[in-house]
This record gives sequence, C-alpha cells and structure tokens, in this order.
Amino acid sequence: MLLFSYLLMSGITTGALYALVALGIVIVNKATGVINFAQGEFFMFSGYVGWMLHVQYGLNYPLSFVLATLIGFVLGMLTDRIAFRPIAKNDIVSLVLATVGIGFILKGLARVIWGGRSDYLSFPPITSPDPIMVGPLMVVPQQLAVIAGTAVIMLVFAAFFRLTRAGKMMQATADNARAALLVGIRTDQIYTLAFGTGAAIASAAAILTAPVTLIYPDIGFAFFLKGFAAAVLGGLSSLPGAVLGGLIVGIAESLAGGYIHSSVMELSPFLVIMVVLVVRPTGLLASRRARTV
Amino acid sequence: MPFGRRNVFLALLAFGAIVPAFANGYQLFVCNLVAIYIILAIGLNLLVGYAGQLAFANAAMFGIGAYVIGLLQVHLGWPFWAAFPIGSLVAAAVGTLLALPALRMSGLYLALSTLAFAQATQWVFLHWETVTFGAGGFKTPQLSFAPLPIGKPAGLYYLSLILVVLLYLFARRLVRSRIGRAFVAVRDSEVAAESLGIDLLRYKALAFGLSGFYAGIAGGLYSALLNFVAPEGYDLFQMIIQKSTIVVGGMGSIAGSVVGASLIILILELLREVKGFQEIAFGALLVGFVLFMRGGLIVVVRRYLSGWEEPLRLTPKAEAPGLPRPDPQPSVAEK
Repeated sequence: MLLFSYLLMSGITTGALYALVALGIVIVNKATGVINFAQGEFFMFSGYVGWMLHVQYGLNYPLSFVLATLIGFVLGMLTDRIAFRPIAKNDIVSLVLATVGIGFILKGLARVIWGGRSDYLSFPPITSPDPIMVGPLMVVPQQLAVIAGTAVIMLVFAAFFRLTRAGKMMQATADNARAALLVGIRTDQIYTLAFGTGAAIASAAAILTAPVTLIYPDIGFAFFLKGFAAAVLGGLSSLPGAVLGGLIVGIAESLAGGYIHSSVMELSPFLVIMVVLVVRPTGLLASRRARTV
Repeated sequence: MPFGRRNVFLALLAFGAIVPAFANGYQLFVCNLVAIYIILAIGLNLLVGYAGQLAFANAAMFGIGAYVIGLLQVHLGWPFWAAFPIGSLVAAAVGTLLALPALRMSGLYLALSTLAFAQATQWVFLHWETVTFGAGGFKTPQLSFAPLPIGKPAGLYYLSLILVVLLYLFARRLVRSRIGRAFVAVRDSEVAAESLGIDLLRYKALAFGLSGFYAGIAGGLYSALLNFVAPEGYDLFQMIIQKSTIVVGGMGSIAGSVVGASLIILILELLREVKGFQEIAFGALLVGFVLFMRGGLIVVVRRYLSGWEEPLRLTPKAEAPGLPRPDPQPSVAEK
C-alpha cells in the first residue's frame, strides 16, 4: 500500500507535467492544425533559462519562474514568425521539418551555452525534501507543489480562454479560421499567440519540475513524445482531454515502472501512441467531427 | 556543349575510384562515410521525396541493419559476407511492417508514430543487454578482404562505392518505372492514386521496405567502417542528419541525394569537435532550406548546368496547379 501510494503520487506529479506539455501541443494544434515539434525543446531551454536566473544570478524562485515563462513565450512567437507564418500554405513536410529544425537549434544552443558545466543540472528544492505522511499516503512536499502549480496554471488558462478577448478570438479561430477572418479576427496574429502560449505553458512546466528532475539538453524530446502521447490519448483537440491523457500516461508509467521494471517507463509513449492511433484515432475525449489521421 | 548529368556523374565516379591512391586514412574514412550517407539519402528520398511518406524511422532501420549484421557475427560467428545480406533483408522486412500503420495515418501522425517507433528501437538497443550489450555497444570483428590483395580501408571503400553505383542506378530505374510513377501518384493524392487502381498498401509497403533495405545496407557498411556498434549512433540526431541530406540535396531527386549527402558529411566532419554546433548547423540548414530553397541544391544545379533533366522530379505545386504533369522527357545526355 505504501509503495502503491508512493507510485500513485509520483505518477500524478509527472502526469501533471505531461498534461502541461500536452496542453501546449493541443493549443498550437487547435489553432494552426500543425504539431510544433520544438515543443519539448522549449521545455528544455526554459528550464535552463530558469536555472540560470535562479541559481546563477540568484533571483528568487517566483521571479525566475515568471521571467523564464515570458522568455518561453517570446521563443514560441519567434518560432511562429520564422518557421510557420512564411510557409503556412506549404505542404506538411516543410512545416514539420521547419519546427524540427528550430528544436535542434535550441538544443544545440543549450548544449553550447550551458552544456559545458556538467550535463545534468539540478535546481535546489523549494520545499523540504523529506516525505510526510498524509493518512496512509506518503507524500513528498515538492510533488504537492508541482501538482498545485499545475492546477493553478490550468485554471489561469481556462480563465484566459473563457474570459479574455484574445482567448475568445483564439477559440473562434480554432473553430473555423475562415469565419474568424471574415468577422475581422487577424488569424495570423492568433497563430503567433497560440505558438507563444504553447511555449509558455511548456516553460512553466519546466520551471515547476526543475526542482524534482534534472535538466539536460536531451530532456526535451522525451517530454515531447510523452506530451504528444497524452495529447493523442485525449484526442489532440481537447484541452480537458490533454489533461486526462497526461494523468493517465503519468500514472500508468509510474505503476509500470514500480511493479514491472524501471526501464519500461521509457517505452510507454510508444505503446500509447501506436495503440491509440491505430485502434481509436479520435482519442478518448475528441469532438465528434471525423478526423483524418 | 551540354554537360549532361551522366557525364558529371561519370567524372565524379572516376574521381571516386582513384581516391584511395592519394588519400590519407582520415580522408578515405570521410569518403567512405560520404558513400554510406549517399545510400541512406537515396533510400530516404525514395520514401519521403517520391512516395511522400514523412517517416522518421530511417535511423532506426540503419541501426537495425548495423545491429543485426554485427550481432550475427559476434554471437553466431557468421562471416560478414553472410551476415551483410541477411541484416539488410531484416531491415527491409521491419521497414515493410512499418507500412501497416502508415496505411491508417499520414502526415503529422505518421511522423510522430514513426518517431515513437524509433525511440522504441533505441530502447531495445539499450535494454536488451544480453543480446545487444546495452549502452556500451560492442566491437565487430575486423573485416578481411582475403584472398583479394587489398587492405580493409580501401576494400571497404570500393565495396561501398560499388554498392553506391548499383543502388543509384537501381533507384534511377525504379523512379522512372511504373513503381516510381505510382509512388509520386501516392504522394500527390492518395485518393486519386487509388482511383487509378494503385494499391496503396502494396506501394507504401514497397517504399518503406526499399528505404529499409537501403538503410540496412548502409548500416552494415557503417558498422564495418567503425568496427563498433552502439545505440547512440542511431538516435534522433542521426535521423536529423539523414533528413538534412535530402532537404539540402533536394526532395524527390536521386541526384540531389548524392549532392546533399556529400555536403552534409563535410559539414558534419568540420564541426566534429562540438556536438552543440552540429545541432545548431543542422537545425539552421533544415529551417533555411525549407524557407528559402525548397527544391534543395539540385535546383541550382538544374538551372545552371545545361542538359540536366530529371524525370519525375518534385515540381513545386505553384507551377501548374491542376494541370497534368508533363511527360518526363529523356535527357539529351541519355540518348
């Protein structure tokens, strides 16, 4: 029972992070119809930026969090202006390769700028590292911080989509880009906003998780694949679906890692993606519209 | 007097044939690497440039070829000459199996599921330690060309060169045949291709299998060249190198694969010191070519070398929307 509760908690924690990465993927995909392959690299790069601000320059944690998220937002917007807007009408092969290229540039930059110190950097924990007992459950306070942070970020985004003008314009564009253009929404600006928002979410996830995991230049791709698995599981166009998918992937991975073998964890995104795409391509919570896979 | 593609390639081949006479060990190694990447690029171009299947599993096929060929020698004591064809065929078979998900997916989804497949292959290389020796990799036996009076570096180089010529000619014949036209039809519109009686499963499986076969052959040569096989040689970065070769050379051009592979390997070797610079360079190349030079370098070659006509090349869509593609004309040089 102790093992189970520990695995469950760590599954929910990593699942919450996958959910954030998946949210970023879904937001970009909903607005533009493409997948931003650099999503994982935003996560990695902002993690390093946060580390630099917090550990090297000694800024406090909340301030580094906000700054790194902002830088992630700008990176996302730049990606749109460089690698999406000029070629938005081209074939899908070009679009994919362009964002893959952006991802590799970011990865190379991180390796050149920060890679020399040591390959694995760690954040100092922001809470005490000792586990506490909540009833029968064993809980690490940092995990609670990650889960709470994730919940706050999700609420902020839900509010952004429901309550703000920009959020409503994004929803309209996602629903029907041509109609949105006809009523005067500048859809290309919405695309830029979507790329920026997606990157900002990934950045926020990176700073949240940095105290529990280590940062290294290749971390982005692993998170991207898992985030994508979560997004696919949720149907790729549904925000609640992405959250649910993230939690399922995280918990399943953690339980498989604990009860079968730790190496199985790395295999989970492949299994999820293959099974979902082949068996049920619309995902768990997709809109009823038929979707071409 | 027109240059003609054939004359250019014959000159290149003649140059390639005399390289071992004057090159030092490192130069010969790089030339051999270029030959291997030409094979990889041609195979990948058949799949991505001609058949239009955006798959990211080529590095995995390359790895499967290298591992099967290496492990057959290490575990079962097979000679290289027996393991080499078997390994290439195994890679081709795995490639063909990948066509099954490709039947249900296209575009982004195919890209991501093949990426996930590539990750799973890495996982097997890393964790099936009793067979694959895990992350540390393993050494393959030294290749010997006895009874031929030729050393291993030069022998392997000539073997690679011969295979490049054969596979190049085969690919050229293939893309001009019924099969090549079917690939292009599948790329341009699956629905239209099916309505013309093109069996999607058959041609997709063929394209995946062929690219797996090319990658398997390249994997065998690569493992023999390095005498060493380890998982990190076949990771995502490897995939980006291979993708860059066809983007830089020109998608949908066999000749472009040759140009792209040569250039990419030179850049890779120049930046060998720092992996970060390699990643930045290849990322920038991908973005730059996609943005500013979609046809790849082969477009420049085509424009400035007279007599350079390629059948069934990738025509930019803006050229003739909705119009039937003009029949490929045999080039002056080939008459």
